[in-house]
Amino acid sequence: MPNPTKNRERQADDLPLSGLEVVEVAQGVAGPFCGRLLAALGANVIKVERPPKGDWSRKIAPFLSDDNHPESSALYLYNNTGKKSVLIDWETESGIDTLTSLVSKADVLIEDWDVNYRESAGLSTEKFNSENPGLVEICVTPFGLSGPYARWKSTPIVQLALGGYLSIMGYPSKEPLMLPGHQPDYLAGLNAHNAVQMALFERDIDGLGQFVEVTMLETLTNLHQIALEMDGAVRVRNGHRQSSLSRRGFPPGVSTLPADDGYVTFGGGSVAIWEQLCLMLGRRDLSENLDLDNLDEIAELRGEVDEIMTEWMKGRTREEVFLDASRNWMLPVAPIMELHEVLADPQFNQRGLFQDIHHPVAGTAKYPTLPFVTSDPLQEFKRAPLLGEHTEEILGR
Amino acid sequence: MNGKKSTTIRSSGALKGVRVIDLTRVWAGPLGTRILGDFGAEVIKVSDPRLPADRMGGLYGKLNRNKSSLGLRLDTEVGRRIFLELVTISDVVIENFRPRVMPNLNLTYDEIMKANPSIVMCAMPGYGAEGPYAEFPAFGSTAEAASGVVSMLGYTTDRPIQTGMSYADPVSGLNSVGVVMTYLRRSRATGKGQYIDLALADSPVCMIGEYLVANSAISHLPTERGNEHPDHAPHGVNRADGDDNWVAISVTTNDEWQALCSVIGGDRLSDSRFSTQDGRKRFEEDIDAVISDWAKSRDTVSIMTQLQEAGVRAGRVSNNQELLNDPHLAANDFFADIDEGENGLKRYDGQSIRGNILDKSEWKAGPILGQDSKHVLVNLLGYSEADCAALAIDGTSVFNDESSTQR
Repeated sequence: MPNPTKNRERQADDLPLSGLEVVEVAQGVAGPFCGRLLAALGANVIKVERPPKGDWSRKIAPFLSDDNHPESSALYLYNNTGKKSVLIDWETESGIDTLTSLVSKADVLIEDWDVNYRESAGLSTEKFNSENPGLVEICVTPFGLSGPYARWKSTPIVQLALGGYLSIMGYPSKEPLMLPGHQPDYLAGLNAHNAVQMALFERDIDGLGQFVEVTMLETLTNLHQIALEMDGAVRVRNGHRQSSLSRRGFPPGVSTLPADDGYVTFGGGSVAIWEQLCLMLGRRDLSENLDLDNLDEIAELRGEVDEIMTEWMKGRTREEVFLDASRNWMLPVAPIMELHEVLADPQFNQRGLFQDIHHPVAGTAKYPTLPFVTSDPLQEFKRAPLLGEHTEEILGR
Repeated sequence: MNGKKSTTIRSSGALKGVRVIDLTRVWAGPLGTRILGDFGAEVIKVSDPRLPADRMGGLYGKLNRNKSSLGLRLDTEVGRRIFLELVTISDVVIENFRPRVMPNLNLTYDEIMKANPSIVMCAMPGYGAEGPYAEFPAFGSTAEAASGVVSMLGYTTDRPIQTGMSYADPVSGLNSVGVVMTYLRRSRATGKGQYIDLALADSPVCMIGEYLVANSAISHLPTERGNEHPDHAPHGVNRADGDDNWVAISVTTNDEWQALCSVIGGDRLSDSRFSTQDGRKRFEEDIDAVISDWAKSRDTVSIMTQLQEAGVRAGRVSNNQELLNDPHLAANDFFADIDEGENGLKRYDGQSIRGNILDKSEWKAGPILGQDSKHVLVNLLGYSEADCAALAIDGTSVFNDESSTQR
């Protein structure tokens, strides 16, 4: 079994990606999140930023310093742990030469150049691979380099709309809701990491790299909980309850409801869980009398069961409900945790999910590391670089 | 199959020759192994032979395509022995049971590693193999709550609500692919296996990293909910013509604002209060009212197209049926039409990773339980037809395809 408490002691030279050279020109979240994963697993990731301001995520709130210092953007700090920062203006002639020379020695290039940018900057998809046939170039964009939306622009809310996520979040009587933060970018970043690993696996066999594309729209479309066809049905948003996977819908009690100090989510879907829930509520009669083939009856009972559960939770905290339902009834139930509670959670902390990292401008903060532990220990996370901090080390000037 | 033929000398998916034993159920695990299968890995789904065999199509079809099925009881001595024989000729084992299940079957990582020291084993429990919640049941819908993501989802002044899509599942499924591939590559290079403990609840935590970093350093940071952006306006959804039709619009620069004004026209937006980002944020409601008036009688596709062509970030709120008919996805050959025999040809979302590492031409429908039992036992493990008959009689395995040995 992995031992997370002793888990961050490994030397850089025996990590799984030790020796892998990565150049990252991608900005923001998607490409950099991919680079962050590679760095955490031992790759040497050189983040190339354009002067004077560098990655656009440096300008995004929240900031850790009072004066909104660009070295203290939490978004930048989180997504660029363990990398080196080099300043190169690749839009100048000497700059593109410097970048090309850097990439000619690299194993992986992470970029986010869309069609419009490629045309204006004269960057073909063969440019780097033709000079370095072993190069794996991953291109992460909202819509990809071909198709009717290829020249369109995006933000998380636009992406979540087109990708079908907004349509299932929120109440049916109100406007659809977006997922918080930069979810399309993070999802595409995970996918980009997977794509890089696939391409490296193939390169291990025949020595050849390749150009691989990951788009946000396809990433989102790929991750729906249903087969899109869904027997012709439209999946609708369902407020505080789980969205249906079919016309049948879930049994009652698959819902997010208030306890004394916040909200609790009850998972489910099977008859066994529904019956177990009724036992916990002391209402065996509900499951005994319900005909689960009568869809109208189920629909009617959903509201009633929400009320029974809400009444049952009166006088109980989220934690009390969570521990009772999980331990004594083996029900999939969890509190909606606030962010400061997540940071203090005993389970996450026992697993070593967070690590304190000090940064000379932003100070010390607690960073999520990786969502897994391994039998071989992983390395300690290192802070994000200052803008251009490693220019001299890497370019010799 | 509708996949484009690869244009390089590489004629099949990147993971050809990789064998994966899939013990996963529900969503996160099957998604991860399905992705490996999409890229050519031989994914052998091991299921209890007593389960019903008639599942096809729908979510099962989506999550289990490109897999074969071995019916095998792991809780008998014979079944366990066969499983460990399969481990000796495999590269990866993935399971998402609660932590006590594999030890109860005497199939700990130590036992599995004894059979094959190069094996990469990925466990995907709810909260992790150890710790105070280790044995608690978890679904994607509850793990997302525990991760903090849901605390940030809801209407601005209202309660938090769940994503409705069990967000921890797809995130964890994507994570499993990257980490398994990382250690598989190392195993191929060094012969060294690895045990990976990937917790369902940990995955979404890493998707809101910036907010957790900020919260750890700054006290009383407000939780942001709703569709509003902290700095930019307009930013949200607007009702279009029709019953429940919406378009998302986001303006992030002055140029985009000018473009929006030119598309909407009239003089209600040419107000000096709106000329700066700060002004637009301050008078966001007034702007939203103008956009809503303009949008309510127009259809979503024309709004989105007109705005995007003028340089404004906009997208219609697509539902699953609209996604299935999205012209951009179709133009990029994203979908996969899978022949499901009696079900006919069914259209699924394909792979979101594009490139020569992908070859859709050999994709196949999700298996019927036990359809490949004979292939695995006879062709891979060297059992005889008579052995198979005995395994069928004592219930260790199940055989649902008489022709499977000829494949």
